[in-house]
Parts: sequence; structure tokens; C-alpha cells
Amino acid sequence: MKKTKKLLAILMGITMMFAMLTACGEKEESSNFDAEATAEEIVVKAAEAGMVGNWGLGNEYEVQALLTKYDQPTTYLSQAFDMDGFDDDSIMLASAMTYNELGLVKNSYDGAYDYGDSVAYIDMNDEGVAMLEDNLFTTKAFAEANPNTVKAFIAASMKGWKYACENPEEAAQIVYNYGSSVSSEHQSYMAAEVKKLVETDMDGNTVSDYGNIDEAAIKQTLELAQQYIKLDDATAADKLSSMAIDDIMDSSYFTAASSGDFGTPEKTSVSVQLKWLPQAQFMGYYVALDKGYYEEVGFEEVKIIPGGGDIGETTAVNNGTVDFGVTWVSNLISANAGGMDLVEVAQVFQRSGLVLVYKLD
Amino acid sequence: MINKNTSVKSSLIKNSRLIGKIANILLPLMLGVVILILWQTEILHKIFNTDVFTLPLPSRIINIIMDNQAKIVLNIQATVMVSVFGLILGSLLGYLIALIATIFPKWGAGGLTIVSAFNAIPIVALAPVITNWTKDVSKDAEIRSMVAKIIVVMIICTAAMSINAYRGLTELKPFSLDLMKSYASDNKSIFLKLRLPNSLPYVFTALRVSVPASVIAALVSEYFAEYIIGVGRQIRENIVLAQYSTAWAYIMIACFIGILMYVILLIAENIMLKNR
Repeated sequence: MKKTKKLLAILMGITMMFAMLTACGEKEESSNFDAEATAEEIVVKAAEAGMVGNWGLGNEYEVQALLTKYDQPTTYLSQAFDMDGFDDDSIMLASAMTYNELGLVKNSYDGAYDYGDSVAYIDMNDEGVAMLEDNLFTTKAFAEANPNTVKAFIAASMKGWKYACENPEEAAQIVYNYGSSVSSEHQSYMAAEVKKLVETDMDGNTVSDYGNIDEAAIKQTLELAQQYIKLDDATAADKLSSMAIDDIMDSSYFTAASSGDFGTPEKTSVSVQLKWLPQAQFMGYYVALDKGYYEEVGFEEVKIIPGGGDIGETTAVNNGTVDFGVTWVSNLISANAGGMDLVEVAQVFQRSGLVLVYKLD
Repeated sequence: MINKNTSVKSSLIKNSRLIGKIANILLPLMLGVVILILWQTEILHKIFNTDVFTLPLPSRIINIIMDNQAKIVLNIQATVMVSVFGLILGSLLGYLIALIATIFPKWGAGGLTIVSAFNAIPIVALAPVITNWTKDVSKDAEIRSMVAKIIVVMIICTAAMSINAYRGLTELKPFSLDLMKSYASDNKSIFLKLRLPNSLPYVFTALRVSVPASVIAALVSEYFAEYIIGVGRQIRENIVLAQYSTAWAYIMIACFIGILMYVILLIAENIMLKNR
């Protein structure tokens, strides 16, 4: 009996310890913003509280550029791949892609947070710190050895993107059928938002040339990358600081592809590595595959390989596991600085899809 | 004559022991040096069919370490602090559980099974859960990340200690418990004079498992922490950014931390268990 009492006392003690651990640190201060607040006021308040979030891993440079613009230190909180941190107020100003996380925050479908109009966001394009994101790239060696393959792949893929942007609902359904990571409602939302990124440039002008590499935009991306990518390796850092846009892009393949000026592909079985899980962010490739556009230009087999987590699309393309890849331009820049020899052959997203989302009072 | 002979013999034995000891240290060291030479001269790359991009040369790795000493020291501090605190807390908790299990044998066996079940949870599953769970600990992300990481290491280190210490506390030499009882010793002195010393070698067996495990747990839990710091986090960031040379520099440092902590443990074990 005595022993049992002792044991119960120990158990009580342990439970109390746990309870204390979970209960301490109540939040008092509001992490919401006034609807009239300017971007500067918002960024400064969130940065001073140390509550600006980003996923890191090469996605942080635009946020760091924005922090620098408003004279704040470039440190940020590591944000998980859900919006729970924003939901529970541990992140005041959270990173979100317009086509993904922003939809999850605003919308009310299953798995979303249903904030509706009680949130607002700061757009990187408006702030002048936008960097180009989803592109299409391969290695310089592969492009030189298989020029027709590269041109044909661009032509068919961009035809897919064109169709997807004209019929976003259908494109979303096609992606959903190919093994979606998210619900079909979210897929539709994403398709509509991705369409905006593909058809509008950083200044808000309409783009009709799907996949065109805008030199001014890629220059801005490279300049911001040179400023905010911090490399510990002196050799790589030197390479980064002396990098020019011709070291990361070659628009000749795109030009030839859009004029239909190419022969039969040298390699008829190719694969493309996506940056993330199967979702409408990559709808152009899924549509091209589904509609047989790749077969039209002479491919026998095209494999779309989903990414996710820590799968490095730059590494996969560089070591020849796959032929093409979709990545952010900043990731391609740091990969080339690190010693890879990659080249961008088309630029699908014409403006930045990154926003910083905050709650309104 | 006879005397001289024996002294020669004993000095010979001493000498051969010394040679044995030196060989024990020298041979592995030489192997290491040979591998390093093969690596630097790119023969290793030919054997494994890889290139200097994926497996950078030691000279470049060392250069990176030399160029970034201040930053590397900060990251080492974060990682070592997490693994040492986690190791200490986890081992203490493990010993406490073993103690409770010894005092209440009926509850003990079941309790230990549950603890070892905890040990089977992969760190990658545990770390994000704990990170979420400790969000209210502090407003300072650095502190709450540190707490989350320490808890992960603690959980990983608890099981090895509790199971080993339980054996040390209960598997006593035959009749030693009877002997103590025949002296009419109370539970307290049985514990202090018999169980506690008997458990000491088992504690070190547990530590041999949990010291390397604590370093690994610390490195992996850094992946999921909110505050970006630590040797493991740097490995991940650099690999994702395709900075393989820098990633390798941090991998070397991680190895070094693990080896150093293990050596410290071996020295401590040597001192503590010397008179047995």
C-alpha cells in the first residue's frame, strides 16, 4: 500500500512537470496588424519581434532582401511546410506561395485554415525584391549533346503550359488524376494562381510568350542572389560573385523551340525532375504528357518525377539521374557556384509567387 | 645471473607490451593516413567511381574549415550543448526509471518495455512532434528550439540507460544479496554498497551506446528546429544548396564531435573502473 502511494506520488510529480512545461509562456501581445499599416511598418514590427518565417534551404533570399530594404537583420524563423506556425501565432509574418500556402490560409476546404479576408500579404513583386522561381533546366553537357531533344522538350512542354493556362480547371483535374498530394479543390485554386504567375511579369504586364526568359528579370534575380546567397566555400563564393547571366541561361533553345525549328530528338526517352510533389504548380508538364504533346514532337517516353522534401533537383540533373529539372533560379545559381554546370533553357514563372502573409485586426 | 636474466625478461615483456600498445594506436592511425592520401590523390574517387564534386578533396575541406572558424565554433557549441545536456538528462532519467523498476519489480518489467518502445520511434518522427509541442516554452525561438532538441536527445538516451542500469541493479553476483541480508543490512545500504557499484559497468555499457546516439539525435533534430543553427542543420542546408564541399566540412566536424565524445567516455570509463 505504501509502495503504491509512493509510486502514485512519483507519477503525479512527472505529470506536473509535463503540465508545467506545456503551460508556461502564455501569449499576451497581439500579433495582428492594422489594415492601414504600410509594408514597412509590418516588416519592422515582425522583424523586431523575431517572428518572420521562411522555409530556408534556398527559399529565403527574397525575404532577406525585403528585411534589408527596411534596415532589419536578415535572420528569420525556420518555417515548417504547413501553416500551423502562422495559425498558432508563433510566426507573425509567414512565407507563403500565392498558389499554395496562401490558399491554405484563406480558403475553407478540407485541410485549409479558413482565414478568408482576415489576412493580407506583402507581395515581393511590389516591393522590388522579386526573384524568378520555377524554370526548366538541364546540364550544359546534355544540352550540347542533345540540342534537338532540349528544343523538342521545351516546345511540347510550353504547348502544355499554354493549354493549361487556357483551361486551368481541366489542367487541375489532369494533375489530380496523375497522383495528387492535395485535394482537388486546392488543385483548382492552385491552377488559377499558377496561371497568373505564368502569364504576368514582375511589373504586372501580360506575357503571352510562355517560357520566355526575360533578361531584366533574370538579371535582378542574379543580383539579389549575389547579395544574399552566403557561401562558406571561398572557391564557390568567388564563382558566385563573378557570375554573369550567360553562365546560368541560354535562350537559344527556347528561340528555336518557339519557331518550331528543330529536327528529331537525339534522345527519345527523357525524364524531368519536379521541385515538389505532384500539384498544379507543374500542370504544364502533366498536360503535355496527358495530351500527347511529347509524342507529337518525337518522344517515345517522358517520365515526370515528383520531388519533395530534401530531394535536390539540381543534384539529380547534374549527376544524370534525370535529364531535365524544374527549380528556382536562385537554386540553380548556388548549384553552379558550387561546381555544377547547369543551364536554364526556359523560364515558366514570370514573376515571384512568394508573399509574406499576416493577420489583420 | 639469474637475477639479471629475469630483469631482462621482464623488461622484454614490458617492451613487447609497449610495442603492442603503440601498434594499437599506430595501425589505425596509419590506415587513416593511407585513406587520406588515397583521397587527396583522387585514387579513392576512381575506386568508388565518383568525382571531386561529390567527394571534394581533403585540402579543400580543410580550407573551408580554416576560413570559417568562428561560424563553425558557434555551430559546434549548439550541437555539443544539445547532445551533452540531452545525454545527461536522458541517462539520469533512464537510471531513475531503472531504480523505480528495481524497487517495484512487478511494475518494472512492463515499464521498461514501454521505455524501450519509445526508443523504437525514429528521430525524424519524434523531432517535428516535439518541436510543435514545445512552442509555448519560450518566446525566444533559440531557447525553445534548444529545449525541443534536448528533449529528443533525452528520449533517445533514456532507453539504453534504463535497460542496462536495470540489469546492473538486479543481476547481482550469486549469494551477494543473501550475504547482505545475513548481515541484516537495510535496503538503503544494500543499494549503496551492492546495487550501485554493481550497476556501474552497466552504466558505461549504456553510455557506449548512447554517446554516439546522442550526437546523431542532436544532428537530426536540428533539421526540424525553428532556430537555424547546428552542425547537422549546416549539413542539410549546404547539401540542398549543392554546396558539397561545405557540407563535407561539416560532416567531418560531426565525425570529430562523435569521436571526441567517445574518447572522453573511454577515458572516464578507464578511470572509474580501474580498480575492478
